[in-house]
Amino acid sequence: MSRRVLELDKIVKTYGTGDSALTVLHGLDIHVEEGEFVGIVGASGSGKTTLMNIIGCLDRPTSGEYCLNGEDVAHLDDDRLSLVRNRSIGFVFQSFNLIAQLTVAENVELPLFYSRTPRRERHQRCLDLIEAVGLGHRTGHYPPQLSGGECQRVAIARALVNQPALLLTDEPTGNLDTKNGEEVLKIFHDLHEQGRTILMVTHNAEIANKLPRVIEMRDGLVLEDTGVGTGCLLSSGVESTAGVVS
Amino acid sequence: MGISRFFEVVALGVKNLLRNKLRSFLTMLGIIFGVASVIAMLSVGAGARHEILSRIQELGVRNVIINSVKPPAEIKPDTTDTQNKDRYGLTFEDADYIANVIPTVETMLRVNRITQRLWYGSKRLEASVLGVEPAYLRMFGLEAGRGRVFTEVDAENFAKVCLVRRGLVAQLETVEDPIGMWLQIGGFPFQVIGVLEDAAFRSHTRKALNIDSTTQEVYIPYETSMRTLGTVTLIERAGSQEFTQVDLDQIVVTTTGESEVLRTSQMLTAALKKLHDRVDYEIVVPLELLKQSEETQRVFNLVMILIASISLLVGGIGIANIMLATITERTKEIGIRRALGARRRDIVLQFLAETTAIAAIGGLLGCLVGIAGILGIVELTNWKAVIAPSYVMLSLVISCTVGVVFGIFPARRAAQMDPITALRFE
Ligand SMILES: Nc1ncnc2c1ncn2[C@@H]1O[C@H](COP(=O)(O)OP(=O)(O)OP(=O)(O)O)[C@@H](O)[C@H]1O
Ligand SMILES: [Mg+2]
Repeated sequence: MSRRVLELDKIVKTYGTGDSALTVLHGLDIHVEEGEFVGIVGASGSGKTTLMNIIGCLDRPTSGEYCLNGEDVAHLDDDRLSLVRNRSIGFVFQSFNLIAQLTVAENVELPLFYSRTPRRERHQRCLDLIEAVGLGHRTGHYPPQLSGGECQRVAIARALVNQPALLLTDEPTGNLDTKNGEEVLKIFHDLHEQGRTILMVTHNAEIANKLPRVIEMRDGLVLEDTGVGTGCLLSSGVESTAGVVS
Repeated sequence: MGISRFFEVVALGVKNLLRNKLRSFLTMLGIIFGVASVIAMLSVGAGARHEILSRIQELGVRNVIINSVKPPAEIKPDTTDTQNKDRYGLTFEDADYIANVIPTVETMLRVNRITQRLWYGSKRLEASVLGVEPAYLRMFGLEAGRGRVFTEVDAENFAKVCLVRRGLVAQLETVEDPIGMWLQIGGFPFQVIGVLEDAAFRSHTRKALNIDSTTQEVYIPYETSMRTLGTVTLIERAGSQEFTQVDLDQIVVTTTGESEVLRTSQMLTAALKKLHDRVDYEIVVPLELLKQSEETQRVFNLVMILIASISLLVGGIGIANIMLATITERTKEIGIRRALGARRRDIVLQFLAETTAIAAIGGLLGCLVGIAGILGIVELTNWKAVIAPSYVMLSLVISCTVGVVFGIFPARRAAQMDPITALRFE
């Protein structure tokens, strides 16, 4: 029996007020169980990034309920949201978002710094993770000295360092060539196998096709959801999204 | 916040400053000069105060000094008389009155002064001859650099001995050892028994003690001077002779205690007013000079605080300005940190650590510049300066405060940024 990690009910997001108000999300319902690997697809402007920001606690929904790991996070203040981001969310961005002035090791350590992990423990944990993404020999290097693929692997290590309940990634392969993209995707699939819960926004039908579950969005609503469950939909329902996304 | 975390935040701040050394240094300049001027002014102020204090203490805080002053020339009835006799100043009656009537007087020293010709062989000088009691020499620290000073025994015996200053010896252009030399003063032979140290004749002391010429004072025992030279000075001008009679040039009153000084000076003022029909005297109260100098000091301090505040304000604004630019430049970094779980106050702390580090390092450099400046000033001028460790501490505290105060606004602005907007910033 798996736990419910993510529970979104009637999420509405409106930007601006009055005449210029723009409603981007029109009452979304999404549930994700622990250990799922969910792809989110949809046309440009359909609200995928907006949704990811809300799930990632970078933003608050205008209305609706959001439970993360059973905790209501829709109404938390800024400090508590920061804490949730730090403990329960791991971000992997399209543009890596590493701090250029910090070394690989220091970048990976950052979430631990903000979770007030003792220094020595911090160091060990981040070294282990950098090792795991195959960059053990580059801990002292700076991001500009690394290739795009390497940067993204550092970013993945950083996202994992606090053992988050949820891994969020918006187009992680968007800035990478095919080979590096595949490598990064393989890491995500490995993580899924290890039981991590992952949400991934992608434009790439090929990538979406390989995911166990895909949610397709259109104009701020769920157009199609291939269904809740871990891996149970590996064989079916993936084709339906392929055509739409391309 | 734990101590190790505090150091980690500070280390991060310093690291960020080192990333752009030139800019950090230029940002610090305002603080450097502000703190340098604070240190310099504090030290010079303390030096001046110390100097004045020690000078006044040389005159004795328990003392009241009364000097004879030649009153402004009166319009004299036009006479063809070529012999004028002018009499002014403190009299023996004054001295008796002070010694016998005023209760708070502990001791009283009398000084007689006559301008006389001094002969050494065939060489002639106009000398100011002061008849003083041996206690006077001790009170004002007149010490013999060579030979000895006269004592109570010399005074009792009306010994014709004198003390001269080095400058006078030089003017006589003698190869002879000055000690034991015979000088003719007012027709009497005096033997030189000592040459006075010049250290005792500092400008301030000299003024209060009514010593005007710089080199030609000759000191003889008071009793001897009364018996030999008397109280009349003859001034010869072309075609006319002028006599001036001054009984006592100076009376130094030592009161029974510091708390009695003011009362004594009031009583003296009243007594002298009664005894004299014109103001041919002045009363100098070293303790009041001290109070006056404290007043001057207060004004100086105010000006100093004003100047220091302005330069620190300018320094602080410089820091705030650069930090605002830095924050815009590092918007993306702020967004990343926020996404990874930094709270607003973590961001505030991070930037505050940077401004405070700038200010503290600027403060340290400022102390060095200030101290170097003071040493330079002391070297080039005759100002005195006192550098106390507390000034360095004070300057560092002030500069850190400036760092915090002027860092708060940019740091808060950084923390208030929306994480999503910040992340999207390129
Ligand atoms: N801060 C904002 N203020 C106003 N409108 C916004 C804001 N952020 C996003 N939008 C609008 O919301 C809509 C959805 O944007 P969003 O970035 O979520 O789309 P997306 O699905 O991620 O698109 P893409 O696939 O191109 O990344 C867009 O029309 C966008 O203009
Ligand atoms: Mg998007």
